[in-house]
Amino acid sequence: MKKGLRWKIILTLAVTLLALYLAYPPKEKINLGLDLQGGIHLVLQVMTDDALNIETDQEISRLQDQFKKSEITYKTIVRSKPGEISIQGLSPEQEGKSKNILDENFQEWDYTFIGETASLIMKAGVKQYLKEQAVNQALETIRNRVDQFGVSEPTIQRQGMAGDRIIIELPGVDNPDRVKNLIKTTALLEWKLVKAGPAADEESLLSAFGGTVPEDAEVVRGDPKRTEGGYYLVERVATVTGKDLRTVRRSQDEWNTPAVSFSLNPEGGRRFEKVTGDNIGKQIAIILDNRVISAPRVEDKIPATSGGIIRGRFTAEEAEDLVVVLRAGALPAGIRYLEERTIGPSLGADSIRKGLLSCIVALLLVMGFMIFYYRLSGVNAIIALILNMVLLAGALGYFKATLTLPGIAGIILTIGMAVDANVLIFERIREELQAGKSVASSIATGFSRAFTAIFDSNLTTIISAIFLFQFGTGPVKGYAVTLIIGIAASMFTAVFVSRLIFELTVGRKRRAEKMSI
Amino acid sequence: MIQIFKKTNIQFMKYKYIAFAVSGIIILAGLINILFGKGLKPGVDFSGGTLIRIILKSPAPVDHVRSLLGEQGLGGSIIQEVGKTKREYIIRTTQPAAVEGPTETQELEAHETMGNRVIEAMRTAEDKAASGRGLKDLNMADRREIALLLEATFPDRASALADAIVSFRVEKGIIEDYGALKEAGIPEDVIGELQGKTFLGSLTVLSRETVGPQVGKDLRKKATQATVWALIGMLVYIAFRFKLAYGVSSILTLTHDVLVTLSIFSFTNREVNLPVIAAVLTIVGYSLNDTIVIFDRVRDNLKLMRKHPFEEILNVSVNQTLSRSIITSGTVLLTVLALYFFGGEVINDFAFTMLVGVISGSYSTIYQSCPIVYFWQKIFKTKKGIRR
Repeated sequence: MKKGLRWKIILTLAVTLLALYLAYPPKEKINLGLDLQGGIHLVLQVMTDDALNIETDQEISRLQDQFKKSEITYKTIVRSKPGEISIQGLSPEQEGKSKNILDENFQEWDYTFIGETASLIMKAGVKQYLKEQAVNQALETIRNRVDQFGVSEPTIQRQGMAGDRIIIELPGVDNPDRVKNLIKTTALLEWKLVKAGPAADEESLLSAFGGTVPEDAEVVRGDPKRTEGGYYLVERVATVTGKDLRTVRRSQDEWNTPAVSFSLNPEGGRRFEKVTGDNIGKQIAIILDNRVISAPRVEDKIPATSGGIIRGRFTAEEAEDLVVVLRAGALPAGIRYLEERTIGPSLGADSIRKGLLSCIVALLLVMGFMIFYYRLSGVNAIIALILNMVLLAGALGYFKATLTLPGIAGIILTIGMAVDANVLIFERIREELQAGKSVASSIATGFSRAFTAIFDSNLTTIISAIFLFQFGTGPVKGYAVTLIIGIAASMFTAVFVSRLIFELTVGRKRRAEKMSI
Repeated sequence: MIQIFKKTNIQFMKYKYIAFAVSGIIILAGLINILFGKGLKPGVDFSGGTLIRIILKSPAPVDHVRSLLGEQGLGGSIIQEVGKTKREYIIRTTQPAAVEGPTETQELEAHETMGNRVIEAMRTAEDKAASGRGLKDLNMADRREIALLLEATFPDRASALADAIVSFRVEKGIIEDYGALKEAGIPEDVIGELQGKTFLGSLTVLSRETVGPQVGKDLRKKATQATVWALIGMLVYIAFRFKLAYGVSSILTLTHDVLVTLSIFSFTNREVNLPVIAAVLTIVGYSLNDTIVIFDRVRDNLKLMRKHPFEEILNVSVNQTLSRSIITSGTVLLTVLALYFFGGEVINDFAFTMLVGVISGSYSTIYQSCPIVYFWQKIFKTKKGIRR
C-alpha cells in the first residue's frame, strides 16, 4: 500500500472516531432548541431611564441638603428629564457660591447658569455607566430568580454588546404566566408606618390633613388582591426595605394560610425594634412594588433578632414566588417584554418526530436514487453521505450548537446538497470514460476537474448561510449552523473520502477496465 | 450505465424568447399582486401580534371555531386548520383596533390580552363552571400544580405521578377523558382523586407567540439587511471569480429566482415569517450552484471550440451539463419534497419556499443564464471579454 494512502485512511478513521466521540451519546451531547423540547423564549428591555431617575432624585436631595447648609435660596429643584436637574429662582448673587458647591461635590454633572435658572446635566460617561450597571444588575437579579425557581439550563444573556435587551430562554417550563410575573416583578419591598387609612378614596384619607399630602408622607394604594383595597397614607421614609432582609422562607400564619416569614440583618433589626417600640398600636404597611399587601398592627416591640411574618392572602404558589423574588433581590429598573414565545412540550415532541421522519425519508430517497443511477459508485456516495451526517453530529456536539426544527431542515437540505458534489464528480468521470480514457485516469481527472465547480457552488451557499446566521434569531440560526457545517463537511466526505474509497476499490487494480458507475 | 439523458442536442438557445416571456409574465403578475393586489402577508414575526396554536378535546369544524371567536369580538382572527382531525387550529389575532398610537408596551399587552381572550372564547361553559367551583384544569395545569394537588393524599408519590400525567399529556396533546389516564399507568385511586379536584378542559395551548411592534420592526430591518448583504456577497464573489458578463447573468438569474419565488408565494395564503426569509436566502446561495457549473463548462469549451459561434458554444455547454444540472437539482428536490410532505405544519412554509426556489433555480439555469450572457455579448460586443 502506498504511504499516502495509509495516511489518508488513518486521517479518515481518526476524524470519524472523533466525531462519534463528540456526538455520543446524542441525548447528552446535542442540545435541543426550545422549539423541539418546549419552553419559553422571552426578550425584555430594561428601562434604564428608571435607574437614571433614581440617581437623579438622590442627587436632588443631596443638592437640597448642601444648598440648605450654605444658605442658598431657590424656588424649586426638579428633575426635568432622566439625568437632568433644573433649579429655578436662584438669585444671581448666589451664583458663585452655587458654582463652588457644584464644582466641589457634583463633579458628575455639567451645569449651565442662565439668569435665575440653572440646569444640570449628568455627564455622558456617568449616564452610560449607570445604564450599563442597571442592565447588569437586572441580568444578575433575573438569573438569581430563575435559579431559585429551579429551571434547568436556562439561557440568560444580553442581546448585543451595548444593548439594553435581555434574552431569556427557559427550556421545559410549562407555565409561562407564572414565570413572566416572577421575572417582571420589581420586588421592591418596604415597611412604612401608616399615618392614616385605609380609606375608600384619597379625599377622605386626607381630610384630617387639610386635603393635602404632608411633606413627609405619601399615598399608597392597597393591592386589591391582597387587601380590602383603598388608600393608605404612609411615611415617605421606609423603616426597613427588602435590602435589610437576612432570610426569607415560605411558612404559614396561625390560621394555616400560606405566608412568608423573614428575619432582618442586625442594622435593619435595630431600626425595626426601635420603630415598633415607639409605635405600639399603630399600623405598619408592608408595601410590595408600591402596593400595600398587608398592614398589620404593631402589638409589641419586635426584638431585632426575631424577624416576622408577611401575610397577604397568598396561595402556596404565590408565597413561594414571593420568597424567590425576595431572595434574588429587587430589580434596579423596570422591565418590559418585547417578545415572548412559548412552545408546549407536545408540539416540540411532534416536531422532533416529523423532523426525524422527513430526514429518514430524504435519506432513503437520495440513497435509493444514487444506487439506482450510479450502482456501486452510488454506494461510495452513500458511505460519504453517512460519514457526512456523523461529522455534522460531531460538529454540533463540539460547538455546543443548538439543534432546532429549521436546523433539522438544514440537515435535510445538506443530504441533498452533499451528494451534489458526488454527482458532479461521477458525471465527469463518466464523460472521461466515454472519451475512452482508462478507469484510473478517468477517476483522477474527474475529481480534479469537478473540484472547482464543487468549491464555487458550495461557497456561495455558505456565504448566504453566514449572512443568515448574522441576522437570524434562535431557530433560524440553528438552520444556518447545520447548513454551513453540513456543506463544509461534504467537501471533506464527497471529495476526499469518496476518492479514497475509489482508490481502495477500483484504483488498486492497475488495469481495471470497467467500473460500476 | 443508466442515463436520464443520452447525448442531447436540444436547441435551448432557440427557446430564449419564450423562456423570457414565461418568466416575465410570472414575475410581472407577482409584482403587480405584491404591489397592488393582496401583497405579501407579513407573519407574526414581522408585523407583531399574537399567534396561538391549540388542540381541542373534541373535534369542531372551522366555522364553529370562528363563531366562538366571533362571540368574543374576535371574528376577524385568521384561523388555520392543522391536519384533518378538526382538532388542531392556529389562530392569529388581528391588530387590536382599540389601541391606536399608545406606547409600545401597551400594544404588546394588548396583543397578550387578545391572546387570552382567544383562549377564553374557546373554553366551554362547563369549563368555566368547573373552574368557578375551584377545580383545576388538568389540561392546562403544570407539573408543579398537579404535584401540589396530589401531595395531600399521595405525599410520597405526588411528583412521580405528576410526571407521568404530564408526559402522557405531552404525548397525546390533550387528555380526552380520565379513563385514558389508565394507559399511562395512573392507578384508579389517583384518577378518582383527580376527578374530585380537577376537570378536563376543552383545549390545550400547544404554542403561543407574542411579538411586540418594536421587535417586528427590528426583524424586518434585519431580514432586509441580510438579503441585501447576501446579494452583495454573491456579486463580489462572482465579480472576483468570473468575467463581467457571467457575473451579471448570475445575479440576474439569482434575482429571477427570488422574484419568481416571491411572486408564487404572493398567490398563496402563506405568511412571510423568519423561516421563509431563511429559505429565500438559501435560494440566493443555492440557485447559483448550477449556473456556476454551466459557466465553468462554457469556459472550458471556449478553449476547445475556438472556431464555433458563441451561441453554439453556449448551447453545447448547456447540453453537456444538462444531466448533472437535472440530477443535482433533483437530489435537493427529493429532500425538499420529503420535508414538504412529512415535515409538519411548523416547517411547511419553509419547505414550500424552497420547493419553488429549487424548481425555479434549475429552470433559470438552463433557460436563462446562457441567453443573458449571449445578449450581453451581443449588445456590448465584448468578444474579447467573453473569450479568455
